[in-house]
Amino acid sequence: MTVMRLPLGASTRSSLRAGWGLWALAVLTTAGAAIALPAFRTPTSMTSLMASLAPLLLVATGQAVVVLLGGIDLSVGAVLGLATVLVATTESVPVAVALALLAGLAAGAANGLGVLAGVNPLIMTFAAGGIVQGIALLRLSAPGGAVPGAVIDAVTWQAGTVPVAFMAAVGVLALVWFATTQARWGRLLQAAGFASDNARRLGLPVGRVTLLAYSAAGLLAAFAGLAVIARTYSGDALSGTPFVLDSVTAVLVAGIALTGGRGSVLAVLPAAVLLGVVDQVIRLTGTNTNYQFVLKGLILIAAMWLYQAARRRERP
Amino acid sequence: MTTAGLPARRHRLDPHLAVSYALAAVCLVLLGTTTSRGFDPDRILGLLGNQAALGIVALGQTLVLLVRGLDLSVGSVISLSTVVTAAVMDGNPDRIAVAVAATVALGAVVGLANGLLVAYAGIAPLLVTLAVGTIVQGATYVYTNGQPRGGIAGGFRGLADDRIAGTPLPWSLLLWLGVWGIVALTLYRTVAGRRYYAVGANPRAAWLSGVPTTRHSVVAYIASGVLASVAGLHLAAYTGSPSLTVGTSYTLMSIAAAVIGGVALTGGGGGPTGTFAGVLVLVFLGTVLETMDVPAAVQLIVQGGVVIVMMLVNRRLDPARRSRA
Repeated sequence: MTVMRLPLGASTRSSLRAGWGLWALAVLTTAGAAIALPAFRTPTSMTSLMASLAPLLLVATGQAVVVLLGGIDLSVGAVLGLATVLVATTESVPVAVALALLAGLAAGAANGLGVLAGVNPLIMTFAAGGIVQGIALLRLSAPGGAVPGAVIDAVTWQAGTVPVAFMAAVGVLALVWFATTQARWGRLLQAAGFASDNARRLGLPVGRVTLLAYSAAGLLAAFAGLAVIARTYSGDALSGTPFVLDSVTAVLVAGIALTGGRGSVLAVLPAAVLLGVVDQVIRLTGTNTNYQFVLKGLILIAAMWLYQAARRRERP
Repeated sequence: MTTAGLPARRHRLDPHLAVSYALAAVCLVLLGTTTSRGFDPDRILGLLGNQAALGIVALGQTLVLLVRGLDLSVGSVISLSTVVTAAVMDGNPDRIAVAVAATVALGAVVGLANGLLVAYAGIAPLLVTLAVGTIVQGATYVYTNGQPRGGIAGGFRGLADDRIAGTPLPWSLLLWLGVWGIVALTLYRTVAGRRYYAVGANPRAAWLSGVPTTRHSVVAYIASGVLASVAGLHLAAYTGSPSLTVGTSYTLMSIAAAVIGGVALTGGGGGPTGTFAGVLVLVFLGTVLETMDVPAAVQLIVQGGVVIVMMLVNRRLDPARRSRA
């Protein structure tokens, strides 16, 4: 059993080894799309792909942290929406950004406290998502608002063809990967996710780790809200809805076990790229965009099925 | 493990039921005192009839929760049902039967897909139903291209609008109570119902005693799909037109109703009796908020808050569940 060989499964080498198939698949898909579709390999298309990946990477990184802990966060979409609304309805730029990030942090912390109080994470974050979405709709009932020009300039800034939002998202992912594998907090996270009761009996600060993990997911969802503004230039309480499924799909395609404690945050990068390229191809080929929903659902089920089968084989 | 099934034989008052019915009574008093004609039975029966869709879909959600599952696809199934009903019926009263059959069959197929993926592929119910719900939503959009076609026959709208001749009872309320009766009778009074509780309370023990556990799970998901499509039929009759988004809010609301009614997410605890009280709470509270002229967004906030508080209360009521959670 892998469980015996690699109790935490989080070393750099093992997490790279575990994800190589996924990296290969992501690279092959991207190369295939670039060869088959001339429109895909234009700089404009690449910039748009990277800009659309930025919010997904941020949300999925936060989701990955929570899933590593054995939880789940279904409120990320609502938090993202609230962040865009707060930025679009506040005049002063520093206040707007601070308010959005603080709201994300607060929503995440509330989720963490609820889970610690014993509410099932699924229901806690689902209900909290309803509350957060309600607050966002109260502040801005229809998409719109006025995003300060300075914010738009900052988030849409590009270095050549690479949007700064994408670079920031990859940077955050790398940072979180480092934190979950190398820092003491990450070790605690994996231990608490792998066997929560054992970790608690060992005297590890499971409560503090849980609170931090959910807060991080909330904060990253709020950051993703800023990256969404770079594409929509407006506030929309419902703009985060697709990110709930997308982030969970990315995390599971990345091979992070829903039961907690196993998987690598780094693998979220190829998983998100794979999903982003599929979306981009659908857009570029002029296929009915509603097929995106169908395809994403199928990818999620297929990924879960494959990993489930692989885990069954591992057992003696 | 005191929650393990057999609620019908317990003569001690279930604290979960006591709390949820007390809450429903409080909400009823709130409704009666804050609105005009508050306690008028005619009005209250009308209100409940209008929300029959919620009552029915919450029953399906309860069945799935009882076997440690979860159905996040009900909202998409409801929307799909209104679209399919309108398209098949196309405003022709002769085609009502065909439309109803097609809609319910489609709900059963979606439920079957959920059930098979959960029971045989071993994927977490949350993910299966989230994915299947998204696929169903996408299929609805692709099928309609964003523009639902067809129409609801005038006669069919009577299901939501008319009352049974000579009584103040709406037909829709009768439909809800009828479905509730079938579910409750099966769960509380038949061998299949007993086994069903056993599967939820302890799947391994149930399997070792010869209960076909996977089959029970699959049936729960099929029932949930069918009940969601019936809820869609009621909504189609109520609004008189198909809608791509009408079902969305019902996913959270159906889970909220079950949780308020004391249904345990860990399986095997609670039942349709509790869920009925949960629906009453949501309907009364929603009406109070509506008449106070608060925006729909506040309703979302209140619902979420009530669910979180009731989860904490349920935990406190039940030490056995606390240790398992």
